[in-house]
Amino acid sequence: MALVKRTHDDNLPSEQQAGTPKTLEELQQQLQGSHPLERRQAAQDIVDHEGATALLLAQLERETSAVVRQVILTSLTRIGDRDAVFGLAECLRSEDARLRNDAIEAMKEMPDQMAEIVEELLADDDPDVRIFTVNILESLRHPHVEQWLIDVLDHDDHLNVVCTALDLMGEVGTEAAIPALQRVGSRYEDEAYVQFAADMALKRIQSSAE
Amino acid sequence: MSKLISDQEFATFREFFYRKTGIKFEDTKRYFVDKRLLERVRETGNDTFREYFTTLRFQASGEELQHLTNLLTVNETYFMREDYQFDCLVKSILPEICKTHDRSKPIRIWCIPSSSGEEPYSIAMWLLERWPGINQWDVELIASDIDTGILNTARQGLYSERSIRLIPPSWKTRYFSRVGLQYQLCDDLRSAVEFTHVNLSNVADVRRYRPIDVIFCRNLLIYFDDVSRKAAAEAMFDVMAPGAFICLGHSESMGRISPLFKVRKFPGAIVYQKPLEES
Amino acid sequence: MKRVLIIDDASTIRMYNRSILEAGGYQVEEAVNGMEGLEKALETPFDLYIVDINMPKLDGYGFLQQLRAESIDQAPAMMVSTEAAGRDKEIAYLSGANLYLVKPTKPDELIAYARLLMGEPTQ
Ligand SMILES: C[S@@+](CC[C@H](N)C(=O)[O-])C[C@H]1O[C@@H](n2cnc3c(N)ncnc32)[C@H](O)[C@@H]1O
Repeated sequence: MALVKRTHDDNLPSEQQAGTPKTLEELQQQLQGSHPLERRQAAQDIVDHEGATALLLAQLERETSAVVRQVILTSLTRIGDRDAVFGLAECLRSEDARLRNDAIEAMKEMPDQMAEIVEELLADDDPDVRIFTVNILESLRHPHVEQWLIDVLDHDDHLNVVCTALDLMGEVGTEAAIPALQRVGSRYEDEAYVQFAADMALKRIQSSAE
Repeated sequence: MSKLISDQEFATFREFFYRKTGIKFEDTKRYFVDKRLLERVRETGNDTFREYFTTLRFQASGEELQHLTNLLTVNETYFMREDYQFDCLVKSILPEICKTHDRSKPIRIWCIPSSSGEEPYSIAMWLLERWPGINQWDVELIASDIDTGILNTARQGLYSERSIRLIPPSWKTRYFSRVGLQYQLCDDLRSAVEFTHVNLSNVADVRRYRPIDVIFCRNLLIYFDDVSRKAAAEAMFDVMAPGAFICLGHSESMGRISPLFKVRKFPGAIVYQKPLEES
Repeated sequence: MKRVLIIDDASTIRMYNRSILEAGGYQVEEAVNGMEGLEKALETPFDLYIVDINMPKLDGYGFLQQLRAESIDQAPAMMVSTEAAGRDKEIAYLSGANLYLVKPTKPDELIAYARLLMGEPTQ
């Protein structure tokens, strides 16, 4: 017994096939296969195919394995097209908190496509959808983030949406946000958290302006 | 003017290289990258970056991309780096694996990335010197990297004084001989490690290695962006045997990469484990 | 000095809670999601966990379930959520929370409950 070199004949059959690229139809089949490993590999391999987004989104909806779901989300993020973002936005309404959290995380990585639907989502009737959208803005590298947040501070009438926006303003706010931060402070005079977060954002902005 | 790389060209190149390797260059790396790119433009006899980039992109053999990759990777490593994990390997991880591992099959350990070999060879020494189980078990040590040049260096096993400075003196005498100013690793250890070419961002490359019992993936993911890190973690997950372990570099945390693994605490180290059963 | 771990993906909330708890004389550490929280808790256990529910990677429930299952760490945990609704609360308690609070929390409320959970005099 010792350190030994690998014996090369124990490769699994699926690995030998790895060299031959599969067609979209084959991958679609495999994406619905009975074994999670099979579904994950399909979700990885389908990325380079035209038309993958719709198939991945459909599978995401019925997928029962948390691990496969992660892989599908990674692939959707890597594709990052318009349809992927629209499909993920639907997940924000899901009852399944984990799916929602995962969708939020994936959408953070798709700034350009997200930008197209941010305003629509921030006007949604459901305050939870608005909160999740602000959560996405948190790490969305997009030049409009500050303006979107200013609008939330000024117009949203749900305390938790406002708090979430404030939370983020502390990180991204510039001098342009000062008036809105002052306004929201007086709008919610009795809320300790609003006072704290608005104050902190203001202090941070003022000290970095000096 | 043509001797420079424009911002637009740099951005296009960055995206291309990122798609191929998972490595994302921050703007602060611009000087480092430009310098090497311009060197390759010149050496390949191209006049402009644009011409060179066309070759890079469409060359069927991928030879130039490999050459450039070798220039752009950071290979820094040394023997016994973060060796508390090797200690954890022999004291906790391997004993746990041995409880359920099929006796007729070797235990497979994978270093990705291996760089110039210091890490896998350190592990080999730890196994021989500090793990009694080596008398009962066969262990396969596989070490992989995207950089073909560094893999050759690794296979040669010739090291500087600096690189081996943390090795205990008795191990040094046992495994190295002096050659001029350098130290040559003995043939027994050199032949104990299999070096292979793998791009961790290419799932097809990774899939060939199943099943793995322990992965050391240290100080590579820091060069990736979030999505590539997550994709790499998922690719590794699928080659790992149920219950297999993964060790990351000390500045890397799976908690910021992927939720697929369980966090395990052993005396001296936090490592990650693939669950025995899929949820 | 007793140690408190705040697990929340929102940085201002972490800072807010931190400022309150530090003023109350506690040593505070932060984690950005449940999995990082678990890494820190396994490294060195804390005297109190303040845990958000909705977080990427591993949510608050998942954190508590694993913390309770994997270790002997039975330190008290407070869950905070934007939901006043019953369902979240129920799962929180089933996952091993000792207390469920609705965000945003008031400073004196937070510190009073923290003291209570750690078995310290509240005055
Ligand atoms: C800093 S070294 C780390 C070596 C060793 N694991 C250690 O911790 O000392 C990073 C290595 O990652 C390799 N690398 C970079 N991108 C890679 C990729 N996509 N796949 C595999 N290896 C990669 C580089 O060639 C380099 O040798």
